[in-house]
Amino acid sequence: MKMKPSANKPPRAALHFFRWYCNPVFLEEIEGDLLERFNYYSEKYSGKKAQWLFTKEVIQLFRPSIIGNIYHLTIKNSSIMTTQNKRLIYILALIPTLLLIPLIAMQFSNGVNWKISDFLVMGILLLGTGLLCELILRKVQSTKGRIILCVVVLFSFLLIWAELAVGIFGTPFAGS
Amino acid sequence: MNENQLGEFEEIVLLTVAILSGEAYGVGIITEIEDRLKRKVSLGAMQTVLKRLEEKKLVKSKFGDSSKIRGGKRKRLYEITASGKKIISLRKERRNSLWDAIPKVIFKFS
Repeated sequence: MKMKPSANKPPRAALHFFRWYCNPVFLEEIEGDLLERFNYYSEKYSGKKAQWLFTKEVIQLFRPSIIGNIYHLTIKNSSIMTTQNKRLIYILALIPTLLLIPLIAMQFSNGVNWKISDFLVMGILLLGTGLLCELILRKVQSTKGRIILCVVVLFSFLLIWAELAVGIFGTPFAGS
Repeated sequence: MNENQLGEFEEIVLLTVAILSGEAYGVGIITEIEDRLKRKVSLGAMQTVLKRLEEKKLVKSKFGDSSKIRGGKRKRLYEITASGKKIISLRKERRNSLWDAIPKVIFKFS
């Protein structure tokens, strides 16, 4: 099909609607096909009819196989990668926030007395736990698997913390 | 894959992809079908069938070139796979055997 690009423009609303619902994986190829069809319609029919036929094609494309996973419709930033990175940033931001709790408590109570090494060890523990949970959420697809593995990681974190603090197993690293 | 799992329109699209040999893409396939079969095909129906054929591993695809007419968007070029070729050959054999079984007298009109 050889033709020149039409001076007539496809209806913006229909094009925006298509870009919104179309699975990002298919967007480029199908939008190209739509625009090629529109140019063909513009050569063959009047501008208004070409616009109507374009809108009709957009409506006919609105089907599950083209929409794909509805995830991209609900997330404004359609990239899943960005969502994962956002979650990682939240985890990393949560670590100093949690470490602020004993730091503030130390100012008001003598019961809390953390040394720099305590903050360092706790920081490493929290970072390790957070990164492990993030790894599980990225690699494990099933919700059940994610919950089980994250609970195991969090439980291990609590055990190590308790061992370092009060020594429940009597390892060489046990605290008093 | 069972040959009976291929629908009538899927078979037409698969045959057209084979006809266009490596140059098959959404609009190109529609034009070819409309020219050859005088049948209207929507882009929605075509894209759905192409995705389904790709899932069934009867066609494979890759990005092709872009053009001004497509607003600078690339085409997705489809090519028939070995399984695709096998299934359409099998379909042809079955149909031919049915045609061969029809008594000649049926087509004799007075």
